[in-house]
Amino acid sequence: MTNLLNDTPGTADTHSVAAPTKPVAVRARGLVKTYGTGPAAVQALDGADLDIHTGTFTGIMGPSGSGKSTLMHALAGLDVLDAGRVLIGDTDLTNLGERQRTLLRRDRFGFVFQSFNLLPALTAQENITLPLDLAGRRPDPEWMARLVDTLGLGQRLQHRPSELSGGQQQRVAVARALVTRPEIVFADEPTGNLDTRHGQALLRFLRDACDDLGQTIVMVTHDPLAAAHADRVVLLTDGRVIEEIADPTASAIADRMLQLDTEADDRPYTAASSTDTHPEG
Amino acid sequence: MLRLVLKQTMAHRGRLLLTFAAITLGVTFVVGTLVLTDTSRKVFDDQFRDASTEVDIVVRDAVAFDAAMGVEVERDPLDPQLAARAATLPGVDQAIPVVKGTGLLITDGKAIVPAGPSMLSSWTGVDGFTLRDGRAPGDADQVVIDAATATAHDITVGDTVRVQADREADLRVVGLVGFGESDGLPDTTVALTSLPTAQRLLRLGDGISQIDVIAADGTATSGVTEDLRAALGADVDVEASQDTAAASAAAAKSQLGFITGALLALAGAALVIGAFLIANTFSVLVTQRTRELAVMRAAGATGRQVMTSILGEATVLGIAGALAGTGAGLVAATGLRSLLDAAGATVPDGPTVLSARTLIVALAVGIGVTLIAAFGAARRAARISPVMAMREGALGTAGGRGRIRAAVGVTFTAVGVAALSVGGAAESMPALGAGTAALVAGMVALAPMVAPAVVNLIGRGLSAITGRSVPAGLAREAARRAPRRTGATVMALALSLALVVFVSVVGASVRAALQSGFDEAITAELVVESARGEMLGGLGPTTLKTIEDLDEVGTVSPLRFGHWKDSGATRALTALDPTTIDDVTDVDMVEGSLTDLRDGVVITERQATERGLTVGDTLGMTFARTGTVKVPVVGLIDDDDAKALSTDYLVSLASYRDWFTERVDASLLVRPSSGTSVHDARLALEDALEGMPTVEVRDQASAAEARTASLDGILTLITAVLMLTVLIAMLGITNTLALSIIERTRELGLLRAVGMTRRQLRTMIRTESLLIAVAGLLVGTTIGVATSALFVRGIAQGGDLHLRVPTTGLVLVGAVALVVGTVGGLAPARRAARLEVLTAIRE
Repeated sequence: MTNLLNDTPGTADTHSVAAPTKPVAVRARGLVKTYGTGPAAVQALDGADLDIHTGTFTGIMGPSGSGKSTLMHALAGLDVLDAGRVLIGDTDLTNLGERQRTLLRRDRFGFVFQSFNLLPALTAQENITLPLDLAGRRPDPEWMARLVDTLGLGQRLQHRPSELSGGQQQRVAVARALVTRPEIVFADEPTGNLDTRHGQALLRFLRDACDDLGQTIVMVTHDPLAAAHADRVVLLTDGRVIEEIADPTASAIADRMLQLDTEADDRPYTAASSTDTHPEG
Repeated sequence: MLRLVLKQTMAHRGRLLLTFAAITLGVTFVVGTLVLTDTSRKVFDDQFRDASTEVDIVVRDAVAFDAAMGVEVERDPLDPQLAARAATLPGVDQAIPVVKGTGLLITDGKAIVPAGPSMLSSWTGVDGFTLRDGRAPGDADQVVIDAATATAHDITVGDTVRVQADREADLRVVGLVGFGESDGLPDTTVALTSLPTAQRLLRLGDGISQIDVIAADGTATSGVTEDLRAALGADVDVEASQDTAAASAAAAKSQLGFITGALLALAGAALVIGAFLIANTFSVLVTQRTRELAVMRAAGATGRQVMTSILGEATVLGIAGALAGTGAGLVAATGLRSLLDAAGATVPDGPTVLSARTLIVALAVGIGVTLIAAFGAARRAARISPVMAMREGALGTAGGRGRIRAAVGVTFTAVGVAALSVGGAAESMPALGAGTAALVAGMVALAPMVAPAVVNLIGRGLSAITGRSVPAGLAREAARRAPRRTGATVMALALSLALVVFVSVVGASVRAALQSGFDEAITAELVVESARGEMLGGLGPTTLKTIEDLDEVGTVSPLRFGHWKDSGATRALTALDPTTIDDVTDVDMVEGSLTDLRDGVVITERQATERGLTVGDTLGMTFARTGTVKVPVVGLIDDDDAKALSTDYLVSLASYRDWFTERVDASLLVRPSSGTSVHDARLALEDALEGMPTVEVRDQASAAEARTASLDGILTLITAVLMLTVLIAMLGITNTLALSIIERTRELGLLRAVGMTRRQLRTMIRTESLLIAVAGLLVGTTIGVATSALFVRGIAQGGDLHLRVPTTGLVLVGAVALVVGTVGGLAPARRAARLEVLTAIRE
């Protein structure tokens, strides 16, 4: 899985750093999201701002309850915001209705979740082509073949998820996320349920997809090792983006996270930082 | 433990809602039936008891049997001298001569036709009727009627009403009576006159119907009874009034027995179909709670305790459903009464009776059905190992245990089919019942294998027509993935539809047989019959007199029916007029002729074969009036042609007069005089019979139709009631889908996340519902047609009963299935579409 997709035309640079010169794929401004009401209310996002540049791999990190999953859900049109705007290219996500957001997800986004990525009733192949099938479109056979080949799923296409290993299941999920050639792939703890070896392989694949295809990737994780594969890491605390680390290393991220946790422990009790009623992906 | 069970039940109450509804509906049906029949029974008991409280002994003409087919036999009038003689006996305080009969009330030129009898009786003052207003009838032109009829038809004391019996007269209402606590008798009009007036209207001369005897104070009734028997001779029946009341009540109630049986059988069907729904719910609950139960096991609960806790929940649910069903049953009794009324089977209404027995049955049925249905799931729960608490994912429902299940299923199905065909041939209800039970059991066992395959097939057929669609494909997969659940859901609908198909096919076949040959055998152009559908027909002697001398009438030939006992069994015979029968019928005789029929009986070829009789042999027939008579067999008639005359035994009217007291004609077969058109003859008949509102003139076609009117009524009733089982099956679909949505929440969330629109999601759930419904339709129609074919072949026994598969009936069943499939999926589809994507993913 190391020599990935490098013959894809149109991908000029390799191993680019998050370059501010690249166009912005997602622009988020002043995102606010509160769950619940009254004393039980949880401020998941509290004025978060973020730009995601095309062709970059962004990691979103933060302590539990920092709002990182909510941020991703908001960017992906899975959640409705209380305030703020999300622009996908020229499209203002916050103005879209439920159906339009669904179509947007189907046609322009790809998703990889931590678990339960696949429909148990469908074969691997059917799972991969699901977004296309839902849209009533046929997969591009060449692209499909390349994805399958690169991800090493050739022998597994007719198997059902229950017949696949965890690593294989996640690779099928990645293939599905890429099959529509989406503008952005959102990954929510994609390696959370994998052992280190399979996790690292999957992350390398995502890295290569970014490098070789210019695929824009946004990944939520709590694992510094995983986040180290990103071009930059965005750190969230109490629903705000407080800092970015460019070209992160695992140890740098781990140090910074530890620091944040300590600060959080020193702060007086607040709902946003210490409650766990708000589930994190 | 109890607290845990209650807590669990409450925690799942949302998921148990439809299950609760299914139990409630089933129990409602049972309780409704019991309350309805208990109420009616009590009405009869009270009525006959109230009528006999003041009277100690009743003297009537002796008969060989009191009642047949729920109708009390008529008795010959008594010599009035007997009353005088009885009165002279020591120990007799009063011996009151009584006349009883039928007399229609007509007010303002309009007849009052109650659902029950039109009673005309002489005033005795001791028969339970008490004056509410005015006074007792004294003069010949006076009448007293019941207060209920008076109120309903705006009649007050001082008005004049016409009473129509064998003679008719305008009488002045001088009083109103009630009966016991109530304003009258249920579904009955009451007219009480002086003894001579009643005798005159009923053409009894000075004859009387019975003598009501009141014993002197301090005298033992039994002693007086003995004295009366000795004094009045063997030709009269002397009985304690309690006994005659009990016998009359029993006769009246015997008709209820059939209704009770039929309704309870239908209630049983509703419960069986509900059981599928219950079983599904518990199966899903156990699956969904696998981890929770495994934790319980890990914490030290034994498998037995886990099983007990599940069965405990079932018990709680069963009790709740039984109680709710009992409440609803009280209301349903009224609904059932209206349904029966509409079907032409009137049961009397009275104060609602909720007996302890009903409550016990309700609880037993509610708890029993729920426990049995939940047992499989409970046993599965007991087998959950503690390790499952730690295991990730893969908690799917297991399929059936393949081969054993298939073997059991096939065996039971085969036994069921065999028992049904044998039972049908032997007309053995136990065999038919056992066959049905075995067939149901077999189908239940096979369901998890058959149903998903059928669903898959239909799904494939569907996508072949509409093209590949993801929602439809996913729907098919979902139905296939939980074979047991899909199987039970499909089978519940299939069974309810099979019942509808069965009733429809058997009904159509019997209907066709009843009508077949009528137009060939009966050549009379017009038929005069009672519109009320009395058991023996309801044309008084006046009817024939009114029309026989009309110029437009060429021939009029009456038919009468009578009951006789054939070593215990009750049979019916037809009496005809040999001199005119040839003008109005064209029947094939195997031997002898109807015109020569005098003192013997003509029987059908089939009866002759079965009984081993030929012309010249005698047949022992027991009549209420005469006792057993050795009647010579004088002819054999073709089976099918006999059907046009309604029975297998034909006698002459002259013999009938010897053997029966009844004087009512069932049909008057009319042939217009030469030169008179049928139309003119009909008009003339209608004109002449205008004063008899219950008499109807029918042409041949409508007469043939009328022969199946009561059957049609019953079939409609049964079908209407069966719709309740279809409704429960539909709840089953909704239930299954709703539960499966809960189970598939994350899956649905994923689908929505990767771009399935709400509309597509709704389509998916609705398609699943529709697939289940169509599978149920296919399986149900197959079972229904197959079993009814076996049944019809069985009861036909070479007779003229052929299988008729009614197209309209089947189309209707198909439409019902489609409605069920459409409506059943609505709520789950809406609910699934409402799922918030995020909530679903996060679960």
